[in-house]
Amino acid sequence: MQERSGVTRFNGNPVTLIGPDLTIGYKAPDFRVVDNDLQLVTLDDFKGQTKIICTVPSLDTPVCDAEIRRFNQEAVVFKSDIVVLAISMDLPFAQKRWCSGAGIEGVKTLSDYQELSFAAAYGVLIKELKLLSRSIFVIDTEDVVRYIQHVSEITDEPDYSAALAALICISKQNQCPARMPAGRIYLGP
Amino acid sequence: MQERTGVTKFSGNPMTLIGPEIKVGDKAPDFKVVDNDLQPVTLDDFKGKTKIICTVPSLDTPVCDTEIRRFNQEAVNLSPDVVVLTVSMDLPFAQKRWCAGAGIERVKTLSDYQELSFAANYGVLIKELKLLSRSIFVVDTEDVIRYVQHVPEVTDEPDYSAVLAAVTSDIPTKEVPGDGFCGAY
Repeated sequence: MQERSGVTRFNGNPVTLIGPDLTIGYKAPDFRVVDNDLQLVTLDDFKGQTKIICTVPSLDTPVCDAEIRRFNQEAVVFKSDIVVLAISMDLPFAQKRWCSGAGIEGVKTLSDYQELSFAAAYGVLIKELKLLSRSIFVIDTEDVVRYIQHVSEITDEPDYSAALAALICISKQNQCPARMPAGRIYLGP
Repeated sequence: MQERTGVTKFSGNPMTLIGPEIKVGDKAPDFKVVDNDLQPVTLDDFKGKTKIICTVPSLDTPVCDTEIRRFNQEAVNLSPDVVVLTVSMDLPFAQKRWCAGAGIERVKTLSDYQELSFAANYGVLIKELKLLSRSIFVVDTEDVIRYVQHVPEVTDEPDYSAVLAAVTSDIPTKEVPGDGFCGAY
C-alpha cells in the first residue's frame, strides 16, 4: 500500500498517510463501513446524491466534535439530495452515544473500525496512530470526486467556508470558482 | 490463525472466535495495547502483580458499563498488588471520557484498536464483529494464567464472585462456578 508524507501533521509532528492521493475528477472509490447499528454501508447507498464526507480522528475529541456540530448546523439548509457523512475509527456505540448527546441529525456517522476500508481507499489512514486524518471530500451525483481538502494540522479545524462553497456549487451544478481558499476542486468536464 | 466456535453467542447468534484457547496453567501471552493517552502498554508493565483482565465489546454499551463499574467497586477491597485491566476496541478517547464520567479509578482501561494484539493472542476476537468477546483472565504474579471465564452469551454479565474467589484465595483447590477453573494445574 502506498505511503505519503508531507500531507499532514499531528500536534506538529509529521505523520504518514497510507493509501493513494485521490485525484479530483475521477470516480470515487467504493468503501465498506458500518452505521450506528453495525449495518454495512457502502458508496452505493448514496447513489444519485451529492455527498460531503468528513473524516476525523475521533468524535470524542474537541476539534472533531466542533467540526461535526458545525456541519450539522449547516446541513439544515441542504436539500435532501445532499448527505453529510462523518467517518472515523470510533466504535459505532461511541458514535451513537455522541450523536444523541450532541443532537446530531443532519450528519450520518459511520465507523471504519472493522476493515479500515474507507481509510485505505481514500488515503487518509494515519500509519502512526491507526486513526483517520482530518479531510473533506465532496462527491457528486455521478460518484465523481469533485473536491478534496486535507487539513494540514490535524488538531486544527478545516476551512468550512471553502468546503461548503464547493459543496453548494457542485450540488447546484453552478459555475464553481477556479481556485478555492483551501483544497482542490474539479470544475467538471 | 486458529478459529473457534461454540464458545460464545451474541444476542443468541453463535460467534466465531479468532486466536488460541488460553488454558489455566498456560504462560500468559504478551500483548501490546494503548492506554488513554495512546501510550503502549504490555504485559511486562504489570510484572509482579496479580492481574484481573476483563475483555468487553465496548464500554459504550450498558452491560460492559455495569460490569466495569462493578469491578471498580470490588477492586477497592483487593490488595494494591492486584491490578484490574479492561481491554476493548473502544478508542482511547472514548475510554478516557467513559472513565471520567463513571468515576473509574481502580480499573485501568486499555484499547486494542491499533493491533488487535490482545484479542488475537488471548483468543477473544469475535470474527463477525471485530470486537472482543466478554471474557475474564486472572494472571498471577509469575505471569501464569490462573483462571479463565468466557461468558457464553456476550450480552450477559459475567460471574463476578467466581473471579473474585479466584483472586482472593491464595491457593485455590476446587473448581469455582462459571467456566473457569482454579488450581487445576
